[in-house]
Amino acid sequence: MALGELERDVMDRLWAAGTPLTVREVHEQLAAHRKIAYTTVMTVLDRLAKKGVVRQAREGRAFRYSPSASREQMVAGLMLDALGGVDAVDTRQAALVHFVGGVSPAEAAALRDALDALSRPQAPSGGETAPAP
Amino acid sequence: MTAFWFAALAVLLAGPVPALLARARWTWQVPRAALVLWQAVALAAVLATLGAGLSSLTMLFTEQPGLPFLARHGLAQTTLIGLGTGFVAVVTVRFWAVAALVAVRTRRRRRRHREMVDLLHHRDASAAVDRALLGEAGARVLRVLTGPARVAYCVPGVGGNRVVISDAVLRELSPEEVGAVLAHEQAHLRARHDLVLEAFTVLHAAFPRVVSSRAALDTVRLLVEMLADDAARRRTGSLPLARALVQLASAPGEGAGGQGELRVGADALTRVRRLAQAQPGADRRPPHRGLAAGAYAAAVGVLGLPTLAIAVPWLSASWRALAG
Repeated sequence: MALGELERDVMDRLWAAGTPLTVREVHEQLAAHRKIAYTTVMTVLDRLAKKGVVRQAREGRAFRYSPSASREQMVAGLMLDALGGVDAVDTRQAALVHFVGGVSPAEAAALRDALDALSRPQAPSGGETAPAP
Repeated sequence: MTAFWFAALAVLLAGPVPALLARARWTWQVPRAALVLWQAVALAAVLATLGAGLSSLTMLFTEQPGLPFLARHGLAQTTLIGLGTGFVAVVTVRFWAVAALVAVRTRRRRRRHREMVDLLHHRDASAAVDRALLGEAGARVLRVLTGPARVAYCVPGVGGNRVVISDAVLRELSPEEVGAVLAHEQAHLRARHDLVLEAFTVLHAAFPRVVSSRAALDTVRLLVEMLADDAARRRTGSLPLARALVQLASAPGEGAGGQGELRVGADALTRVRRLAQAQPGADRRPPHRGLAAGAYAAAVGVLGLPTLAIAVPWLSASWRALAG
């Protein structure tokens, strides 16, 4: 649970930064508020990269980390995955148990629009946590 | 002969019986007993298929051993036994292969989903709701997503249960209605309804045609929802639950949906009507004792009678033939 909170915190920093950060930069930001080891930050960033939510790019001798998508994009993608499109009976449905099945076509369309609008221009996006262009 | 009875039973349990049971409305009164019956029918069908294969295979060894098989039975019967055994083997292998595939995919998807909801959880949005409605234990599993769609679902599993809800739901529903939704989802998690759904998903994925696996899956899904509805109703009363159902099921884009959408709407409507029809006292004590007892008896019967009538004589005969 504590690890989950730390991962959320690191993601928030990366989204807010707008530019790729090094482990040292993330560590500096976090260390301003709490006692945290450099290696812990490294581990967390590594875990996030393994999950595919953070991109790793080598720059000289250091790695720089950036979010693989904006927060809005990730939420929209997750919701689409959860709602599973319109087809109600596929094997994917066994994974999650809904309060009430399916999604209205309007909602599915709205989600896809949101995803499209977010993914079309690479840099600018409207959300408060999204990186500034 | 044993093989024939097993095969006949398997056909009956895979086709007409689920088709009839899917149409039976009395099952809505006793969802728990009905789910037990459904599982008994499915298990009996699988066992009967297995029995048909094994018993035709034992004919190879138990009847007058020593003579060549072809000489004993003739060409026609040999071919029939061969085809039957082969068919059962294919069906069995297919079932377990699909079961393994679904299990792996389901768990992978859940793990991925759990990671993402944990990462995207919006704590501030949930802070007001979770403590009051769920207590400490409930608050640990609640995740709130901030996004365009109204979602409410649970991610079950050994890796940790999650109840996921979007802030749109929190905004549009009253606290009692949110409480009903959460009680419903927690009932799913507590009773591991996902395992029942997974079993019937496997049956449908392995045998999508010919047998009534689609009707079985749809009905079992509805019954599981009704069972969770009953649990939620005991906690919050029928009205908030029904209101939450109507709000979350109502499709703004009328007529734009495909066939899947119509079905979904129909299920929600069924559940709301069922909540409305229940007597006021029904919130507290389970009614329809006789009906439930009948369903449990039928479940025992569908598993027990074939065992006594076919399996036991066959097994003892096989044992005698092998031993003597």
